[in-house]
Amino acid sequence: MASQPMFVLPGDRIDPSLIPSHPKKALRLGPGLQHAPPNDIIPTLAGRLVTDHQKNAIRIETATGRYVPRVGELVIGTVQRSAAESFFVTLSDYTAPALLPHLSFESATKKTRPQLAPGSLVYARVTMANKHMDAELECVHPSTGKSEGLGPLTGGMVYDISLGFARRLMMSKGGIVVLDEMESVGLQFETATGRNGKFWVNSENTKTVIAVGRAITESDTQSLGAEEQRKLVRKRLKEMS
Amino acid sequence: MPRDAEPSLSERTFVTKALNEGLRVDNRKFDQCRPVSLTFGDEFGVVDVSFGKTRVLARTSAEVTVPYADRPFDGVFTITSELSPMVAPSIEPNRPTETEVLLSRLLEKTVRRSGALDTESLCLVAGQKCWSVRVDLHVLNHDGNILDAACLAVIASLRHFKRPETTLDGEVLTVYTPAEREPVPLSWLHSPFCVTFSFYGEEGDIVLMDPTWLEEQLRVSSCTFSLNRHGEICQVSKLGGSAVDAPLFIQCAQTALSKSKEYTDLLERQLADDAKSRDKGGLMAELTAENDR
Repeated sequence: MASQPMFVLPGDRIDPSLIPSHPKKALRLGPGLQHAPPNDIIPTLAGRLVTDHQKNAIRIETATGRYVPRVGELVIGTVQRSAAESFFVTLSDYTAPALLPHLSFESATKKTRPQLAPGSLVYARVTMANKHMDAELECVHPSTGKSEGLGPLTGGMVYDISLGFARRLMMSKGGIVVLDEMESVGLQFETATGRNGKFWVNSENTKTVIAVGRAITESDTQSLGAEEQRKLVRKRLKEMS
Repeated sequence: MPRDAEPSLSERTFVTKALNEGLRVDNRKFDQCRPVSLTFGDEFGVVDVSFGKTRVLARTSAEVTVPYADRPFDGVFTITSELSPMVAPSIEPNRPTETEVLLSRLLEKTVRRSGALDTESLCLVAGQKCWSVRVDLHVLNHDGNILDAACLAVIASLRHFKRPETTLDGEVLTVYTPAEREPVPLSWLHSPFCVTFSFYGEEGDIVLMDPTWLEEQLRVSSCTFSLNRHGEICQVSKLGGSAVDAPLFIQCAQTALSKSKEYTDLLERQLADDAKSRDKGGLMAELTAENDR
């Protein structure tokens, strides 16, 4: 594992010592890197260079950008309209809608289709993501037939966050302590994070929703560290009472 | 064809619910505005105004042209407002949306028709030569309340702008460069500002100031007052939407007046600061070749 974060700019030369070498596995280049034959690797994005020695992979992490669906990612989408066999779901603004079949819900049959009004939110997994086709989603695990937390999100409020922050929120070691801090002082709320840069939060108390949403969006826009996040949470709590 | 982003059902219900409880999503008070920043560029007449995430850039320029035949003693004054696809991909160039048309119409009414700029002072030779002053307005980011931001930017830009000094000697008109003669500010009569109110709730009895884009999409109606700090109203527009009680309307007008005074103070302060930072201590200090040793 890389010991300290290494930042690169597009066109930078990457030090060969940073590129992982594995005796058997082929080197895998993640997003933001390009192979220039014969043996140069050039960054195409500005961001943090992350190497994974076990997988023999190297990639660049950025916080910005437009969401591009990838198979297996969890996303929060807005139902645009219902067609004959599927819902059209928007994952991000001004992009082509993704398809969510009526039958990809828990215990959905042809007779008992889920009724979702235009504008409702769904938490779904991407099942198909092709460059030249609309993405497809599902709200049920295909083998168990259980929803496993996926499905329509009712009530609550959805906030826009950056893609990098959404990814960090979903990782256990993402360095985001806002939610844990808020929970530890006894606030009750439920959240869902979509990889497409959406954060949903619901609670009985409107003030809690606003406090959580603001703390999350502020930690994102001001890119706060763990200690600053704790301070921010304390400030928000003081405002609430 | 890119689709305009619309708020989801959850956002609609939540914002309405929170407003009924007296809360806003960004925890502001109902009559609290986002922090306003107003900065001037290096050139005269370049102004960058931002209300929170909303950002507007205005630039004033002047050139010598022929006056209109029916108004030989007046200069030409135009305001060009543009919403580019940078604001949102749903905006197409050269196809004005409703927002854009309303924006330019309201600016026209507020600034041009209220006689804020003395166009007669722009005349150089009656019927032959006059200054044409043009304000270009660019909306860089739209997060609600662009009208107020745009109006502030236009007024600030015109107040900050200085046109080249001219002299008329017999039939010879001379336009001096800034190095030859100090440029002169435009002849300004009064500074009107737009203040917009948004109404929410079934009877339209919840009044918000400076709404964000999300709040703006959910309002039941809105009204805009344009007035200067003396309380002289240039225009009031309430274009459709649900009806609003008359006493509430009057109350809004009072708030608009205090807001207009605030904008005036802000602008005066920033103009004074800018003038101070540009002043190098007179022409002698500016032209001296002496260095500090």
